[in-house]
Amino acid sequence: MTRNPTLIFVLVAAAVVVLAAGPLFLPPFYVRVGQLMLYSAGLGLAWAILGGLAGYVSFGHAAFIGVGAFTAGLVEGQLTGLPPLLLLPVGLLAGAGCCGILAALIAYPILRLRGTFFAIAMLGVSHVCAELTNNIDFFQGSMGLNFPPIAPSGMDPANFFYELYLAAALFILLISWLVRRSRFGAGLLSIREDEDTARMLGVPTERYKRLAFVLSAVLTGVMGVIYAHSLGYITTDSVYRDDTNLSLIVYSLLGGMGTLFGPVIGAFLLVFVTQVILGRLLDFHLFATGLVLVVLVLAAPGGVAGLLKKRKGTAA
Amino acid sequence: MNLIAQTLADGLVLGGIYALAAVGFSLIFGVLHVINLSHGILVLMGAYLALIFSEALHIDPLLCIPPVMAVLFCVGYAYQRFLIQRAVDRASVNSMLLTFGVALMLQNAMIWVFSPDMKSITPSYAFTSLKLGPVNLDAVRLSALAASLILLSCLAALLRFSPLGRVIRATAQQTMAARLCGVNVRHVYALTFAVSAAFAGAAGIVIGIILPFSPMDEGAWTLNAFVVVVLGGVGSPAGALIGGLLLGLVSTLTAQYIGPAFPNVTMFLLLVLLLLVRPNGLLGNAFAPSR
Repeated sequence: MTRNPTLIFVLVAAAVVVLAAGPLFLPPFYVRVGQLMLYSAGLGLAWAILGGLAGYVSFGHAAFIGVGAFTAGLVEGQLTGLPPLLLLPVGLLAGAGCCGILAALIAYPILRLRGTFFAIAMLGVSHVCAELTNNIDFFQGSMGLNFPPIAPSGMDPANFFYELYLAAALFILLISWLVRRSRFGAGLLSIREDEDTARMLGVPTERYKRLAFVLSAVLTGVMGVIYAHSLGYITTDSVYRDDTNLSLIVYSLLGGMGTLFGPVIGAFLLVFVTQVILGRLLDFHLFATGLVLVVLVLAAPGGVAGLLKKRKGTAA
Repeated sequence: MNLIAQTLADGLVLGGIYALAAVGFSLIFGVLHVINLSHGILVLMGAYLALIFSEALHIDPLLCIPPVMAVLFCVGYAYQRFLIQRAVDRASVNSMLLTFGVALMLQNAMIWVFSPDMKSITPSYAFTSLKLGPVNLDAVRLSALAASLILLSCLAALLRFSPLGRVIRATAQQTMAARLCGVNVRHVYALTFAVSAAFAGAAGIVIGIILPFSPMDEGAWTLNAFVVVVLGGVGSPAGALIGGLLLGLVSTLTAQYIGPAFPNVTMFLLLVLLLLVRPNGLLGNAFAPSR
């Protein structure tokens, strides 16, 4: 990774300007697809802090989307008097905070598990959260929760949420970048490579893992809160989705596991393929996702970034 | 008192079926170290095949077990040899994702072929039941339990006494040493997978005669298998039986005394708890001694 950092920065800045201006010239359908791309990219990045860097592949991050969304909805339901623009920050704070607390609580037992056991235990967490939300009346999971409209009156809500997703995804990208550059990030990488050795060499693996888990959960929660607002009405099934659990892994796998831009590339590609190319073939959706997964694992275990690197390696 | 006895009996029947449905998953996990997320699909394949066979030939669904097992044996062998083997040697997440991808594709294919509706297999004795003291047992459930126990014993005997079983155990314990002794490891992996798929198919038939099924259930059966294996221990029919019975009892007791919506919650709490206290399951890893 000895590419020019200034060049990368300029490229990212240019991409952001183009993306931010997107709604001005894109037709409504593509604004919607763009929303989904940015949402997925943000989630993928948040997931990758734990899954890509530390190698703790979680199969249940939808738990934090759901917890964030439902906490925000319940809190905002109590504060109907507030102006709409204040509601979102309050909801974000409550949702992300609750995700953070939940993650901190379950981190201690669950991070003792490794590999597939961790993955499946997280799937269990996601299912338990979903069932509790659905069956305990207080959470209103089966009836559904309404969210107040928060877009400013002069602006098309679709465009507003597009920009909001863009901002959130950028925020998460920035945090991922900072994490990667820090001692903390290096520690996470060492956990991925060999946890026992890292621990022996004095890396505080337990603390780092827990921190990465909580950070990843909080950022996922932020995305969940925005997602809930953009839907306007959520039930248990619309936020605790098993296909989200799976997609988050696929984004990193497709883009390149453990790379900074991998999840973004993966999310953009997969959303484009499933929404635009296969958008009309809904019956074919599961099949196509499965096929992508199989081909990926067999043909390109390093993802797009891995392929690029390999190409470069052979050319040089 | 009657209610408790009845709940326990129902739990045991359900547990026997969970055990049979999980034993293949457990074997693959123990020998190949692959989490086969398409296990539920193999189970359902068995159920649908039995539905087709029993309707076409007008025979008792339990008599379909041998042909269905034969078909799934071949499917399993080919599946492992041509697809999974390519991912086995890489990171464990890869083979997990591969099988998940296959599960998605096949689930979608099943929806096309069999429609997403609930189906069930109805044997001729579907409505007879007998009373054992205070406990009411349907003939269907009783035969399902009997079939599960017999099949589990067969697998245990196969692993324990046959040459194939010996080779499988050897490969699981020390892959390298087995290879040095002239074992064709890839072939053994594929045979293990084939045996597991065959037992998954048999489980599908037993499930089919007591519960309705649809292509959407595959995830539930895979998860059940995972929980059973974690509870009981990897690789052995006995572990699967213990885990299955425990799971069956816990889910019927929860449904009866806490609420019908909560079996999954208690199931996963139990799972996480057990992973923390006894990560190798109640009986431990059957192939562990030499590792």
